Amino acid sequence: MTKPTLDPTTDYPLSINRRDLLFTPTGKSIDDITLEAVMAGDIQATDLRITPDTLRLQAEISDKVGRPALGDNLRRAAEMTAISDSRVLEIYNALRPNASTKAELVAIAEELTSQYNATHLADLVREAADVYERRDILAESE
Amino acid sequence: MTVSTNVQDVQRSLSFTEVGPAARGSRPDEVVVAISPGFGELFTKTIVDIPLAEVIRQVLAGIEEQEVSARVIRVHNTSDLAAMSHTAARLSGSGIGIGILSRGTSMIHQRDLPRLSSLELFPQCPLLTLETYRNIGSNAAQYAKGESPQPVPTLNDQMARPRWQAKAALLHLKETELVRKDAKPVEVTPKFAAAPVR
Amino acid sequence: MTAVAGNPTTSTANVRHSARTEVLEARPVNLDGFVEEWPEVGMVAMDSPFDPQPSVRVENGLIVEMDGVERANFDFIDQFIADKAIDVATTEASMAIPADEIARMLVDPGVTRQDVIAVTKGLTPAKLLAVAKNLNIVEIMMGMQKMRARRTPANQAHCTSARDNPLQVACEAAEATLRGFAEVETTLGVVRYAPLVALAQAIGSQAGSAGPQTQCALEEATELDLGMRGITGYAETISVYGTEPVFVDGDDTPWSKSFLAAAYASRGIKMRFTSGTGSEVQMGNAQGKSMLYLEIRCILVTKGAGVQGLQNGSISCIGVPGAVPGGIRAVAAENLICAAVDLECASGNDQSFSHSPMRRTARLMPQMMPGTDFVCSGYSATPNYDNMFAGSNLDSDDFDDFNTIQRDLQIDGGLRHVKESDILAARTRAAKALQAVFKYLDLPPITDQEIDTAVYANGSQDLIPRNVLEDLKGAQQVMDRNVTGLDLVKALESTGFSDLAERMLASLRQRVSGDLLQTSAILTDGVPRSAINDANDYAGPGTGYRPSGARWEEMKRLRHVTSASNPEVEVE
Repeated sequence: MTKPTLDPTTDYPLSINRRDLLFTPTGKSIDDITLEAVMAGDIQATDLRITPDTLRLQAEISDKVGRPALGDNLRRAAEMTAISDSRVLEIYNALRPNASTKAELVAIAEELTSQYNATHLADLVREAADVYERRDILAESE
Repeated sequence: MTVSTNVQDVQRSLSFTEVGPAARGSRPDEVVVAISPGFGELFTKTIVDIPLAEVIRQVLAGIEEQEVSARVIRVHNTSDLAAMSHTAARLSGSGIGIGILSRGTSMIHQRDLPRLSSLELFPQCPLLTLETYRNIGSNAAQYAKGESPQPVPTLNDQMARPRWQAKAALLHLKETELVRKDAKPVEVTPKFAAAPVR
Repeated sequence: MTAVAGNPTTSTANVRHSARTEVLEARPVNLDGFVEEWPEVGMVAMDSPFDPQPSVRVENGLIVEMDGVERANFDFIDQFIADKAIDVATTEASMAIPADEIARMLVDPGVTRQDVIAVTKGLTPAKLLAVAKNLNIVEIMMGMQKMRARRTPANQAHCTSARDNPLQVACEAAEATLRGFAEVETTLGVVRYAPLVALAQAIGSQAGSAGPQTQCALEEATELDLGMRGITGYAETISVYGTEPVFVDGDDTPWSKSFLAAAYASRGIKMRFTSGTGSEVQMGNAQGKSMLYLEIRCILVTKGAGVQGLQNGSISCIGVPGAVPGGIRAVAAENLICAAVDLECASGNDQSFSHSPMRRTARLMPQMMPGTDFVCSGYSATPNYDNMFAGSNLDSDDFDDFNTIQRDLQIDGGLRHVKESDILAARTRAAKALQAVFKYLDLPPITDQEIDTAVYANGSQDLIPRNVLEDLKGAQQVMDRNVTGLDLVKALESTGFSDLAERMLASLRQRVSGDLLQTSAILTDGVPRSAINDANDYAGPGTGYRPSGARWEEMKRLRHVTSASNPEVEVE
């Protein structure tokens, strides 16, 4: 599917104006998420999640209304959709001060790149590793 | 051991003797109580003038009456209540620790919880009475034994902040001046000397 | 109700006081805490000789000097702001504009919001401080009127219980949303109660209106977990701090918080950061800087992380700026600067601040009069003794006053008067729904007697106490069995609460679209409204949002209004 070019004034909110673009991670249309479908067991909790494509659409909207930093956040989020809840929480905890050694953070950055193709997130983590070293908030190696 | 919760009964002075570096405990029936850098030294009473000698006595009495052992440590590297309490919990053989700041704020922590979480939190230091401190000790000891006590009823006074927050900030600043980032926690023994009642 | 009564000032045993003095001494305002400024430790609102002078230097597309500090000496907040928050392409030009000129741009209705943002996006913290110092409180309010991101103001409520009683929270959430709150927030005295209370708020809130968003304030990882499950709808208490040591004490960095922000977005969940003047000095490490300077650093950290908005206005530290001269002006300024750098602003008024009713109202006016994205963050929907955020600036006792002030001044604070019968009906519906869901999920039962008491209660003192230990076991069950928001939808539909099931599903379905991730987004009657499709177009008198039409008619209603057509009766 060719990426649509969005116009914030006519396309946002996507849930009102562009339902044709909205899908669940399992490929259902947003229109398939009805109470009937829920009760029939056709909808799982995993269906009530946003896809990386939708996040990139919202990021494009953010960029176009002059909010590039929000766009970058949403692009990082798009990468993070591929990572499990538990791994997300682990990486978050690893990024807290004095929680990880530099090697551990670098390893996480490599995992983000090689396993998830999450280049923006990897950049964030690599940057953190450098700053934490400079500001002395890495964990001491055991 | 009967310990009265009436402040006026005896005016006690408080000092702490250092035992040595605080070590990880092995006995499962102990609670570790962490006191802040200035507790009992620079500061001798809470923000509402309750003597710290009585505060620590009540906490220890609460633990003792549950037939659990108590160990007191002084934390030097932080004046942050969660960090102190979590340190106590991690050093405790039962995994249960208590933290008390000089101004009176307190919490019960558990070693497996995230640092900024808690088992029970007592954030409004102007509201804490000797009875509350007794209950804190008692509840911590019950957690140490694997029991599930009723949480100490939460005290809530929405006028505590307007009245005391700025003073609490100034007290905290004074306590934080004593923090030594690299100093490890030290095990201490409280010593009480009775002073004549005025 | 403090443990030891008595004002610390000395007794007046031998001095003769006038009767006038005695009257004034007894006034509530004299119970408030006031302190002298102490700039060396940061106990000063915005006028500190130790705050840096504004400056910036760019080399090869990188900021190498900012506010008097060379890059090699940047702490992690400086680095984050320099690399992510400030627009490198325009910073040198914008920084060259005198601060008073930029201040005039904020106030001048002829200068558009976009024009202002084109300049502010290149400003350093010290420069933004310099701009703010030029503005008096009236000018700050004029600026806020123009700079808030969403055209229509909204409001947020706290729904908590001193007993962490989930039934009470469900009822309060229903009444709160019926009264007009777009967001509701809860927290716990006992953290382990969170799953039940958050669940109760989620259900109850949908009984009052369609689309309110709910949050549960907890430790970061726990709060994210509840959000991921769909038991809460958004997160707010993601705190950032203005000095490096305090940030570390808060167990985070701008990088960990950025990661967390993206985590929420990756699950389609709206979030904002929280900060506020006074937190650094209260946590013992303001590094000698003024409260507002440090808060501006927090605002720019939020901007740099790409987060859509910020809760600020001192928040839980309000007693600190409230204690120093010019503190409440600084608090209004921090809301303005947040809006001025194009962030959503949930503007405080959420923490008890004074014993004096006059002072409480004065503190509210700089946000309520111009309007902000959320005038309160939050207003206590229960009596303050039940407020587990340790008391809000406004509580349920103030509902009629608040609505009256809206009507008096024709200002929209997001609320409306509702007839008692409608409130009782909403509370009852919420209570019955919760009772049914608890039964369906095998949680400790809620009796009809509990419901009757809770519907007609004012606060937890009027309730039948629940068995806390059984509830805590139930709460653990909710976590262990991985109960999600979808399970709540099924439970509601299965037990005959289809309308609530639909509303909850609609809210969860929004996650698929991501519409609520944009700046200042709320869900009103099933439609997302944000700074994009409800953009603030204020451009002077006669323009922008003014309560009118049906909304103004709604604002005119109070509990007792004498009928004009028949002065012997009241308007229904």
